[in-house]
Amino acid sequence: MELIGYTCSYIPVEILSATGLKPYRLLHGEITLSQQGEQHLRVDACPLIKSNLGFILKNQKNFACIIGSTGCDMARRWIEIVKSTTNIPVYIFNNPRTDNFEIYSAEIDELVSELEQFFHRRFDKSLIQKECEKWEGIRQRLIAIDGRRRANPSAISTTTFHKIMNFYHQGRLEEIPYQIPDEISYKPRIFLLGSPVSYESAPFIELIEQRLRICGDFNCGLSRGIHIKILEKSIEGLKKAYFYQPGCIFKRPNIGYYEWVEKEIKATKSTGIIAFVLDYCDNFDFEIHRMEKRFSLPILKLKSDFSFQNMSQMKIRIDAFIDVLASYRGGIV
Amino acid sequence: MKRTYKVSPKKIGLRTWSKQFEKISTETISRYRYYNNGEWGIYLSPPATFMVYGMRELKRLKFDNSFEALRMWGFVFNETERLFRAKQIGKKVIATMGDLGVVPILVMSFPECVPFYPECLWWTPFFKESTELLDTASKLGVPEATCFSRAVVAAFHKKAYFPKPDLIIASTGASCDDYSCVMQTVEDMGYEVFWAEIPYRKSPEFFLNKPKPQILEKTKEGFVYPKILEEHLIREYKRIWQALFKLTGVNNPHRLVDTIKKINTLRRLVMGIKRMNEEAPIAPIPALELMVIEFGNLYGYADFDEWLEIVEMIYHLVKDRVAKGIGVLKKDAIPIAWVTPSADPYLLNLVEECGCRVVTTEYVINQALVQIEEDIEPLRALARAFINASLIGSTEERIKKIKEKIVKKQVKGVLITNMLGASHCAMETRLIEKLLSDVPILSIDVPAPFGITQQIKTRLEAFVEAMR
Amino acid sequence: MKDILTPRERFGMLVIDEKPDRCPVIPLITSHAATVAGIKLKRYYTNGERMAKAQITAFEIYQHDAISIFSEVGLIAEAMGSEFNYPDDDLPVLKKPALLNGLHDKIIIPNPRKSKRLPVYLEAIKYAYRSVGDIVPILAYIPAPFTTGMHLLPPEKFLIETLKRPDGIKIILDTILDVTKEFCFEVINAGALPIIVDPLASGSVISPAIYKDVAMIYEQKLIDYLHRFDFDVILHICGDTSPLLEYFLQTSADLISLDRVNMLKALDKLSHKIRLIGNFDTTTLLLSNPEEIHKTAGMMVEQLKFARKGYIVSTGCEVPIKTPRENVMAFIKAGKEKGWYWV
Ligand code: SF4
Ligand code: SF4
Repeated sequence: MELIGYTCSYIPVEILSATGLKPYRLLHGEITLSQQGEQHLRVDACPLIKSNLGFILKNQKNFACIIGSTGCDMARRWIEIVKSTTNIPVYIFNNPRTDNFEIYSAEIDELVSELEQFFHRRFDKSLIQKECEKWEGIRQRLIAIDGRRRANPSAISTTTFHKIMNFYHQGRLEEIPYQIPDEISYKPRIFLLGSPVSYESAPFIELIEQRLRICGDFNCGLSRGIHIKILEKSIEGLKKAYFYQPGCIFKRPNIGYYEWVEKEIKATKSTGIIAFVLDYCDNFDFEIHRMEKRFSLPILKLKSDFSFQNMSQMKIRIDAFIDVLASYRGGIV
Repeated sequence: MKRTYKVSPKKIGLRTWSKQFEKISTETISRYRYYNNGEWGIYLSPPATFMVYGMRELKRLKFDNSFEALRMWGFVFNETERLFRAKQIGKKVIATMGDLGVVPILVMSFPECVPFYPECLWWTPFFKESTELLDTASKLGVPEATCFSRAVVAAFHKKAYFPKPDLIIASTGASCDDYSCVMQTVEDMGYEVFWAEIPYRKSPEFFLNKPKPQILEKTKEGFVYPKILEEHLIREYKRIWQALFKLTGVNNPHRLVDTIKKINTLRRLVMGIKRMNEEAPIAPIPALELMVIEFGNLYGYADFDEWLEIVEMIYHLVKDRVAKGIGVLKKDAIPIAWVTPSADPYLLNLVEECGCRVVTTEYVINQALVQIEEDIEPLRALARAFINASLIGSTEERIKKIKEKIVKKQVKGVLITNMLGASHCAMETRLIEKLLSDVPILSIDVPAPFGITQQIKTRLEAFVEAMR
Repeated sequence: MKDILTPRERFGMLVIDEKPDRCPVIPLITSHAATVAGIKLKRYYTNGERMAKAQITAFEIYQHDAISIFSEVGLIAEAMGSEFNYPDDDLPVLKKPALLNGLHDKIIIPNPRKSKRLPVYLEAIKYAYRSVGDIVPILAYIPAPFTTGMHLLPPEKFLIETLKRPDGIKIILDTILDVTKEFCFEVINAGALPIIVDPLASGSVISPAIYKDVAMIYEQKLIDYLHRFDFDVILHICGDTSPLLEYFLQTSADLISLDRVNMLKALDKLSHKIRLIGNFDTTTLLLSNPEEIHKTAGMMVEQLKFARKGYIVSTGCEVPIKTPRENVMAFIKAGKEKGWYWV
């Protein structure tokens, strides 16, 4: 048992890692896993949730515990299903949903004390400081890599970046490469938004990048986590860094999300947006219209159940989108 | 209260109601009015009136034939007008959204403030047998595979279902995503929204270690929760109080004490009605009327005092029927539990027609039945009562009561109504099926307005067969 | 401006004293619907489904704000025994009043669901309600007792009898009132809002005194009946009703539909208590051209849209059967454009 599972960007990896285990973010999304999940969930549950369940059912023995979160309704209820179908100890972390810092602060304190007790470890100052340094160091490297992806011309593809981020999200920090060869591209520059891309989403990203270059994103399966900046290497510092990270789309109000994305779109000189929306993921689906109004860039909405069975259809839509990029006048494609 | 005529209880259609209505004197009609206004506040009219104004489903619904029920329906169907009238006469109309029954109590503690739930509009497409609101929501960009509560977005856009609220208090967090998204969309339409957070009620099984008893507390209904949850809620209530103070310029905590007393009176009555309904050998009141009463419990349909009188009247009616051993369904109707309210009221009729009677409900609003403690600090009392909310905790806790009733053989089957795409339904249904597998369970996806098909009827019949 | 509300929602706001997105625009499109639908008039008024379909077709083309179930005001009188001819291309014509020879003749107490063309109306209402009742109000025009009375006796005779034998007339009118109420009951339970029409109580036909002492009393009684249901009652009287304006307040109607009156006067005298409906001249509508109609109707709407209790853009009387479509469209367009309220 070397993994501690978690589900959300608001759960500090530093704290999880202080247990001595690898923090493994549950970001599985693949059709056969999803179908396994469907044995316990209705079809209209989000495919990420179903896949994660499928994955956990197969890999129970690797997890010492799972820290779930109340990020979205499905995510929070997912933990109950894990509890009722496996023997893995679970914990539910109350995600921040408004600007109320106190609730979050109390939640972190409780998480720390729970983990300390469960793993019989003191998360003292020096341990936390060490973890902060370790993860900050990694994030600095990732930011540098992301910088090359964002550069104009973009020097690293998101296909590659995704592989690297998977290491980060799975706690396999030692596998994050130091040397990454250039993959310069002059293809149209695209920003990726929406539901998390999963560990298994490589074919989808590759498909997009056949004719486009994703040079920036706000996506929990990609760069979301690297924008955390710890100013004070302590539990209190972690609370602030994580609470005030670029705002999640679930936050109410979620204006922070829009402001951040708007800034990033400009900074990456993106000329279009791809919004990846998982079936039944209300949190993103509800926002697409608003994104269109707010960002005034062409948006291609790609709905998915992670089966990627409709790849050829997606390809056609991406091709059409490229034409739109050239002559954009407004609207969702 | 004097009744105008005597009838033996039964369920009747709209036309029969119209006939029966002719026997009611004009004096009686003019006696019942909201906001005590004799010009537009009169609300006693038969279902046909509302049908003529577009509530098409009333044509095929069956209603309790009592005067009490008539009064209730008239009052409830007048809510849109009432809200506009409230504003016309200078009251402040406050939209309380997603809070599951607690914010209205704060609102009612401020003078001339009327709370209402925009989410109650989710019945409207069904009562109207119309997809107009849902279609408008789609045109406004709301995804279709979401709960019918999306009709609320259209209502805010149309401004014809309630007046522009003086304040919108939207609660989000451990409730439901569909509605949280609806509320966010409303804000994006240019409405100013005051956000409040509802934290999750974590039960001890979702801790890694056995929590120390001193950090835990237990509600009267038996839910165990970390004490700190109370503090979080109280902090939010204080913020809401401040916002209302700012709006009205009044800050009188004694009014909250009084409101709580009134709320408790209503809750006692509703609880009493529910209990009598549960225990009586013959169902004293139809499921549809009972559902309307349960929902009214949250805020009193925009005239709390009048609603309280109506419920009191119904309480006595039910008591009387139970004492006489009479009711609206057959004696052999099979007792079932209903989980999640049905967006389509017709389904409640249909289930009874198929030979069931609804004895227990989990409409996600059972917290509104709990007595609020009157001997402690009022905001804390509100928090402690609210912590019983079904949506803020685990599914297992949500259906605990039903499980107990199954064990006691008071319930012979469970009906779950789902909204396709509604976040909690997708996650809960299978688990509920597993947890309550001792009795037959039927889970239905509520179809779009006017969409109840023969297939659903057949499934209901098969469900009834399985229970027999 | 693009409509935000459905006709139903719009009407709903009007009757609770709220400003909808714009004024409802309800030209009295009755038998004209048959022309729009391209069917013979006789088919229209003898077959409920046809009547409803024609109305729905007109609604789909014109996008006005109500469906009007109506052909002519002889309906109840016919069910009570008066005889009518049914020309193919015209509305029913009174052939023989039931009380041709005097008050002692026999009248029939009809079955509102079965007698003569009453079921045609009910059928039309049901069909229209089922089809479009969620988005548009269904209005059923009900002749007031006075107007029905004028079809039970030869009209001149009826007027003379009101003076000579008021008690006899009262008995007749009381009977008509009961029949009308029963019919209203059916209309309501079929899904339509009854609107009372009393064209023969017009100032162009009777004196203010007869109006006050006879016609109005029965309008009032019918309105009272409908008020028991909590309906917002529309009263329509065509022709010149200027001398009657004061009386309209006493009828307790909630909306008054006027024809040849000075609307500014009506605005002054009535609009604090009653919502106004009217009153575009139907001859102009028939004979003028779309540009002119658009202009004049627009001016009318601008003058009346801020009536205190609200205003419905309408024609003073029924849209003439053969009115060119473009003219009706121009009228409706003007109503929608100029009647806009919301910013
Ligand atoms: S993808 Fe959407 S629905 Fe699924 S867990 Fe994430 S936010 Fe929830
Ligand atoms: S029915 Fe369920 S999904 Fe719909 S608004 Fe209510 S709680 Fe949310």
